[in-house]
Amino acid sequence: MKKLVIVLVSIFLLVSVVSFSAKVTLNFIEVLTSPGRTALLKKIISDFEALHPNIRINLISPPYEQADQKATLMLNTNQPLDIVEVRDYTVKQFVNNKKLLNLESYLASWPGSKTLLPIAWQAARTVNNTAYMVPQEFYIKALFYRTDVLKKLGVNYVPKTMTELFELCKEITDPSKNQYGFSFRGKAWEFKFSDLISTSFLDDIDINNIYKKTDGKPYFNDPRAIQGLKLYIRFFKETAPKDAINWGFNEQVNAFVSGTAPFLIQDPDTVGLVDKMLGRDKYMVAPIPVGPSGKAYLDYGFAGLSIPSYSKHKKEAWEFIKYISSPSVNAYFCKNYGPLPVHSVTYKTNPYFSTGVYTAWAYMMEHPEKYVFAKYLLSSPKWPGWPQIHQADMQSLLLGKVSIEKVVNKWAKYWQ
Amino acid sequence: MKNKNSKIFWIMIIPTFIPVILLTYIPILKGFIIAFQNYNLFNLSNVHFIGFKNFRAVFSDTNFNFLRILLNTFLWVAISLFFQFVLGFGLALLLKKPFKGRGIYSGLVFYPWALSGFAIGLVWSWMFNGQFGMINDILKRVGLIHQNIGFLSDPKYALISVMITNIWYGIPFFAIMLLAALQSVPIELYEAAEIDGAGYLRKLFNITIPYIKPTIINTTLLRAIWIMNFPEIIYAMTSGGPANSTNILATQMINKIYNFYDYGQGSAIGLVIMAILLTYAIIYLKVTSLKELEL
Repeated sequence: MKKLVIVLVSIFLLVSVVSFSAKVTLNFIEVLTSPGRTALLKKIISDFEALHPNIRINLISPPYEQADQKATLMLNTNQPLDIVEVRDYTVKQFVNNKKLLNLESYLASWPGSKTLLPIAWQAARTVNNTAYMVPQEFYIKALFYRTDVLKKLGVNYVPKTMTELFELCKEITDPSKNQYGFSFRGKAWEFKFSDLISTSFLDDIDINNIYKKTDGKPYFNDPRAIQGLKLYIRFFKETAPKDAINWGFNEQVNAFVSGTAPFLIQDPDTVGLVDKMLGRDKYMVAPIPVGPSGKAYLDYGFAGLSIPSYSKHKKEAWEFIKYISSPSVNAYFCKNYGPLPVHSVTYKTNPYFSTGVYTAWAYMMEHPEKYVFAKYLLSSPKWPGWPQIHQADMQSLLLGKVSIEKVVNKWAKYWQ
Repeated sequence: MKNKNSKIFWIMIIPTFIPVILLTYIPILKGFIIAFQNYNLFNLSNVHFIGFKNFRAVFSDTNFNFLRILLNTFLWVAISLFFQFVLGFGLALLLKKPFKGRGIYSGLVFYPWALSGFAIGLVWSWMFNGQFGMINDILKRVGLIHQNIGFLSDPKYALISVMITNIWYGIPFFAIMLLAALQSVPIELYEAAEIDGAGYLRKLFNITIPYIKPTIINTTLLRAIWIMNFPEIIYAMTSGGPANSTNILATQMINKIYNFYDYGQGSAIGLVIMAILLTYAIIYLKVTSLKELEL
């Protein structure tokens, strides 16, 4: 009897302790997983938890390669999730399936939204012109170059146009010494690189759909775009090793860090990686070279946070999103991870983002006459398969298995 | 009495029956249904039956030539299986004879079988790398080549390179299975054959192989099915490229699901794989059992 009483009392105590300290646990899935980034998020989360003792956040970090799939499956099967990281590529699909909460009213009541960059608002309202996410970071391409390697090769200038870049890369290429010029991209979203070069030959790209001209026709089979594509092929044939047809992000960065190819076009999150592998004294970043049109069309990638429409803790989830999206935390996050912050005040008040390697991005954002931001049609049902189609066609093209005319007409027809 | 027994029999079998139905047959049925539906993750509010449209789309895909994929699949399975078997069998024969340190040695030899296909693919893709790869480096130092070969970037070599990786991976399986079978062959048979004056090859073909034939048939059948359903290595090394030259049915299925979000077409490819394997298994078992009767 005594034993039973003790057991009952201890059960009672246990239950009451648990219920008194009833914390809300939020499940948060990230998709752009990398070890450094996960550690950074955990740090931000623990700071947040210290400020909000009744909220606990459980961070789910699937490996990068499977993360989008995992998030998709979790959302579509209504798994307990309260904060979900959404990307430019996944937002439309999630909204189509009615999995994301409309955040307009939340944003309207949040003072921090006043300083969001115009492109941050555009990004937030990617689908149906309604904000379904709060962007956290931007990716805009720029030209990375190896100062030490170029000095050794006797180069003392940075190319300002695509043609200059090509000529210089060609000049320093010497396969017998394993020295090449351009860190080429041959697979996995290589269209982001070929489009960048091709579109720079035009000056009438539709900024709402990078694949069309302002006259509504696809840009691919325009004679100027064909010139641009030919330059991209020449970059492969004359300034990069044959193997580059199979290069994705890792191989590109590897070629850059090893010095095999001293020119690399990449996003700002590469800064952190190259800093670690190389150190900031060995490289610099310049604005993207402009094309014969005097312009370059840049697309911007982004990721942000959303609340699933079925979440049971929407209020607490918004508390966290508000915290992590505030100018100071966002600047801290971007400084330690690499991408561009989302608040205009950060660029004005934080010297880190207005000096050093980041001057390249600041310059591009301040010169809209040269650098035009254009969008991919992420909300089109043709979008999800496009990277694969483009990759197969581009590789055939680089291998000389198919003619340029045939490929560009096919792409033009696809995006008509 | 008999009736009661059979009732108990059914009750006893239910606990295994339910999970099998829930976890195996219902998903298969679901996959079968999806193959005839417009089922795209991009827009799940528009799921409806579309007949054979998914199959037609897969067969006549202008971006991914289906015949090429079929041919790749055939080469991938046939060549990988052949070399895995021959080399694995050779290894088993070598390991049969006792020697010092055999335990440790065979442990090392069997090690690849314990690794994940994806990890193997990643390791080999760096070894085959046309720029920094160790294989290129070795070939150059030996003087066999003067310029780096783009093993994974040149369509001439890409399929061969992924097959070499797959062969390396599959050898231990055959070695383990065949070694176990070899150890069951009675030693007396060899002694009798030796008295009759049989040489090594004679003993191999007239005693060893006939004796372990059931194992050979089973392992090759299973392995062929596994290789056909084994996209990890290719996916990690080339993801089907360059220009479709290493794409097989299994990688194309993943491609359709992961990249196109098109579960309908993905399931249609899944059904094609199932049909091919079923036909193969039936023919294979028919042919091999017929031979058994002739003996």
